[in-house]
Amino acid sequence: MTIAMESIAFAYDAPIGRPKPLILSDIDLEIQDGEYLVLVGPSGCGKSTLLRLIAGFDQATSGSLKIDGAPVKGPGRDRGMVFQDLESSLYEWLTVGENVEFGLRVSGVPRAEREVRREEALRMVNLLNHVRKYPDELSGGMKQRVQIARMLAMRPSIMLMDEPFASLDAQTRHMLQNQMVSIWTEIGGTAVYVTHDIREALNLGQRIVLMSAGPAAGIKHIYDVPMPYPRRQSDPIYIELLERISGDIEEEVIKVWI
Amino acid sequence: MDLADHAERPANRGPRFFGLSGGNLVSPAAVVCGLLIWEVAARNFIDPFFLPSVSAIFAGAVELHQQGLLLKHVSISLTRILVGWALGSLVAIPIGLMVGSFMTAKRIIDPYIHFLRFIPAIALVTLFIVWFGVGELSKILLVMYATSFIVMINTATGVVTIHQNKKLAAQTFGASVMQIFWRVTVPAAMPSIYVGMRLALASSFLVIVAVEMLAAESGLGFLIWTSKLYFKIDWMFVGIFLLGFFGLLTDYAWKMVGKHAIGRYVRASAKY
Repeated sequence: MTIAMESIAFAYDAPIGRPKPLILSDIDLEIQDGEYLVLVGPSGCGKSTLLRLIAGFDQATSGSLKIDGAPVKGPGRDRGMVFQDLESSLYEWLTVGENVEFGLRVSGVPRAEREVRREEALRMVNLLNHVRKYPDELSGGMKQRVQIARMLAMRPSIMLMDEPFASLDAQTRHMLQNQMVSIWTEIGGTAVYVTHDIREALNLGQRIVLMSAGPAAGIKHIYDVPMPYPRRQSDPIYIELLERISGDIEEEVIKVWI
Repeated sequence: MDLADHAERPANRGPRFFGLSGGNLVSPAAVVCGLLIWEVAARNFIDPFFLPSVSAIFAGAVELHQQGLLLKHVSISLTRILVGWALGSLVAIPIGLMVGSFMTAKRIIDPYIHFLRFIPAIALVTLFIVWFGVGELSKILLVMYATSFIVMINTATGVVTIHQNKKLAAQTFGASVMQIFWRVTVPAAMPSIYVGMRLALASSFLVIVAVEMLAAESGLGFLIWTSKLYFKIDWMFVGIFLLGFFGLLTDYAWKMVGKHAIGRYVRASAKY
């Protein structure tokens, strides 16, 4: 599905009489069907806010956000979400298998079909051996894989991911990045992925959108990443993009610091 | 995926009170030691009218039992406590869920909750007797009153502290408002409801004893109060001891309910 954003601005509600602080302003972006797009930017730049707008959790203050031509009015089954936080979105009273089936249950998917989709999703994230465990028995990386699996079970056309691996250790993060690429290659679909880690962006994205520092953040630059998967860090394109994006981000970070 | 597969093990189980087979004998040993010190001290250094020995209290309990009073007082007190506590929770949980979930309900009910919960049930004993008579009804209603606010506030707190992401995730699955309430809000609030009911159980003991001392012809509170009149200090201690004992027992039973019957909902809260 295509996501089209035209001159999007976003501000949180402020008490009457106070100015509304503008988080995002003047965002024009079109995300193609089947594309893997990564949003990077300095912390606090509003990249997660942009993702929440696509998810339908918040509404843009002005501008238009359309998915396949239809304006986004709220969350929907066509868009899955993986939250950054390890604990807060999982249902701790449900086992891994039940967490993955949760969305299918509330959608009224019959039992036989649910089991097939659960197994398929858990296979993709290598969690088939942990179906009966509860979230508090899992490591951080496994919890994020449960989140990914329950999103995959719903077979959304758009996968939204908000720094899902940010709080994991480097090895786990790298492995999950590879797994994410193979899942996306297997099922297709559009992926929008938020991160502050440039290497992660380069390992995953076909296009990388660099956002400028907030407040009133916009898009600073969009980079194409013309490299096959899996990405090799020794690739000259990788090295060149890493340097360019690092330099551009640094410019933005300095703005905030001064 | 070996590296990511390390599951964090839950912490060791704490010392078990009744399950002696666990090999942990520290708690029972501590209890026996305490009783021994009491026995020796009471026999040798303390006026038995001030503090009778453990064996004298035990003899008092046997005497009460022979007169057919022990079971009578215990069962009537426990019935009042458990019925009042269960009914009070039954009323409080839906109110707590509503107050926590809906702003309008909160605005309407909140002033009443926070006004009434500071009026101790003991202050209402005589009023309730005027209103509901000297029978069991007024006593059970007082226990309900005392327990319901604790359960209500814990339930509502449990609801408002549910992380927003749980509901947002459910929305991405297309869950309706009712589905989110029953499948996310209620189970996520279970640990707070469970803990609230556990705290309320203790205060229902408090209330029933006060009520029985003031306005009853039976129950452990009545036993303790009237023992004074007959200078039966050992009977008084039997009553006091039984309160502690049945408090421990009902609390343990509630813990077992938490561990086994509703285990998946209170995995963390039932550990202590």
